[in-house]
Amino acid sequence: MLNIIKKEEEGKLLFELEGRLDTITAPDLEKDLMSSLEGISGLLLDFEKLEYISSAGLRVLLSAHKATAGKTEMKIVHVNDIIMEIFETTGFSDILDIE
Amino acid sequence: MPENTKGRELVIALEGRIDSGNSAEVEERIFRELSDKDIAGVVLDAEKLSYISSAGLRVILRVRKNYPDMKVVNVCPEVYDILDMTGFTEMMTVERAYRVVNIEGCEEIGRGANGTIYRIDKDNVVKVYNNADALEDIRHEREVAKLALILGIPTAISYDVVKVGESYGSVFELLNASSFSKILATEPEKMDWCVKEYVEMLKKIQSTLVPKGKLPDIKDEALKWARFMKDHIPEDAAEKLLSLVEAVPHDDHMVHGDYHTKNLMLQGDEVLLIDMDTLAIGHPIFELAAMFNAFTGFSEYDHNVIKEFQGFDFETGRSFWLRSLAAYLGTDNEKTVLEVEDKARVVGYARIIRRSMRHGGLETEKGRAEIEFWKERLIEVLGRVDSLVFERNELDVEAEDANIPAVLAFLDRRLEEAGCPMKLQMQIDLAVEEIFVNIAHYAYAPGKGRVKVNCDVFDDPRYVQIRFTDSGIPYDPLEHEDPDVTLSAEERQIGGLGIYLVKQAMDDVQYEYKDGQNILTLKKFF
Repeated sequence: MLNIIKKEEEGKLLFELEGRLDTITAPDLEKDLMSSLEGISGLLLDFEKLEYISSAGLRVLLSAHKATAGKTEMKIVHVNDIIMEIFETTGFSDILDIE
Repeated sequence: MPENTKGRELVIALEGRIDSGNSAEVEERIFRELSDKDIAGVVLDAEKLSYISSAGLRVILRVRKNYPDMKVVNVCPEVYDILDMTGFTEMMTVERAYRVVNIEGCEEIGRGANGTIYRIDKDNVVKVYNNADALEDIRHEREVAKLALILGIPTAISYDVVKVGESYGSVFELLNASSFSKILATEPEKMDWCVKEYVEMLKKIQSTLVPKGKLPDIKDEALKWARFMKDHIPEDAAEKLLSLVEAVPHDDHMVHGDYHTKNLMLQGDEVLLIDMDTLAIGHPIFELAAMFNAFTGFSEYDHNVIKEFQGFDFETGRSFWLRSLAAYLGTDNEKTVLEVEDKARVVGYARIIRRSMRHGGLETEKGRAEIEFWKERLIEVLGRVDSLVFERNELDVEAEDANIPAVLAFLDRRLEEAGCPMKLQMQIDLAVEEIFVNIAHYAYAPGKGRVKVNCDVFDDPRYVQIRFTDSGIPYDPLEHEDPDVTLSAEERQIGGLGIYLVKQAMDDVQYEYKDGQNILTLKKFF
């Protein structure tokens, strides 16, 4: 299960994710995320309540990163240890802006 | 037309043919007999009746008008057909004349709780019931066998009831069939095959959902076994036994109740389940208990018992049982097998102790020694078992994304039970999801298929082993080249990370293709 809470502030988009970003839930996020990128000045993904990510979730992040590259700043914050390790293993920690 | 009085019931014999030519005469005689005496009931004995026309049937109807409870007995097949076609069998009690079958010198091919099966000729077998008044048992067994057949269990249904000496028997067509016991006894090299088929049938029985009210609940029986022990073992042990059985959850799936190798037949290349009279619903632990008894419990004190009953020795039975249990549970771990066996032993011992005591076990020295032996073991195993519930280490599901939550839930239950740290559990979840998705998307594309997931936890060193088995196209995911994780985002391909993550998260990943199946095994040390 994944809860997506979407907020917009001064042209900046905030996605708070809660639960699991996996094969089942990743398509929902992808749809939501990719259709919201038009005309925003920043994208913030809050992972504070995200417990788990699989390669399907990573793919969504990579797509979003590619789609925003050079246009919009994309940042991921409040990443827990388990997910951080997955980012490190896959080299995502070098690609994405993670806090 | 001779007749005689049997108590207050008048038996009138009918002979030859009754048709319009003689029906008036027959009627007159019957009513003359009836008017002479003070009669409570009428039985028409049709042993020597070879034909009855509608004129004759009308005579019977007029008798019935005065004696609504009358019955017709010893009816030959030709007359029975007439009575059946005209609806008489539904209107009144009509009992068939039974064909007499001699079983002297016939081979015994099976033996169950309430009867023994003999081969009477090349194509037919007869099950002779122990109970002399077995017509009700026969009717019951025929009913449940029909039900099982309708629900998809391959079985044989009897087509005739016969007299065998003083007992009744039911006749089945069973062409060139031999029991699995016989195969195990004479062709020991077929052990692996027998285990596979035996377990497959067991799973089939257990996955059969029985409509409500059609079969008894075996738990009600098990509660009787448990309550019986109250007077025979220490109070605390008896209380624990009863609470363990009470705690077993209700289950509406089928249980055979006496599932051993004499009740599994090979006919051509078809495997048939027979001896259906103990068919019930209930939790699989009760099936396992009966299986334990058949292969170990009954012969644990005197190892010769199994040789007499099954035709193979104690060691063969023991090995067959443990291998079947491991295959059924989907485990490679001997410890897991023995833990589940202990649960089966709890119920099994309670059942055989009661059975033995009710069958005069206490009257012989050997019987008493045996009962003491089982009691000791029951008390000992009760000390170790805290629940009769178990879970198979195997999940067999359709390979599709929608089943990921079910697979992860299954694994997480097992991992939590094993005390797997949370972080490890996450890593295992990740690896499992990646592998499962791979199989779901590619193994059977564009069609569909199933995948089996087995999960075992081993000690010394402590690790979890997860195995995926599918029958899809041969594919070794390990051949896939690892993605370059140092590339920049622009150079990165979307995808290709799954298997890499699996290799990173797991301590060992092995692939093999065997018997038309992809088998991928993951290991992770705690």
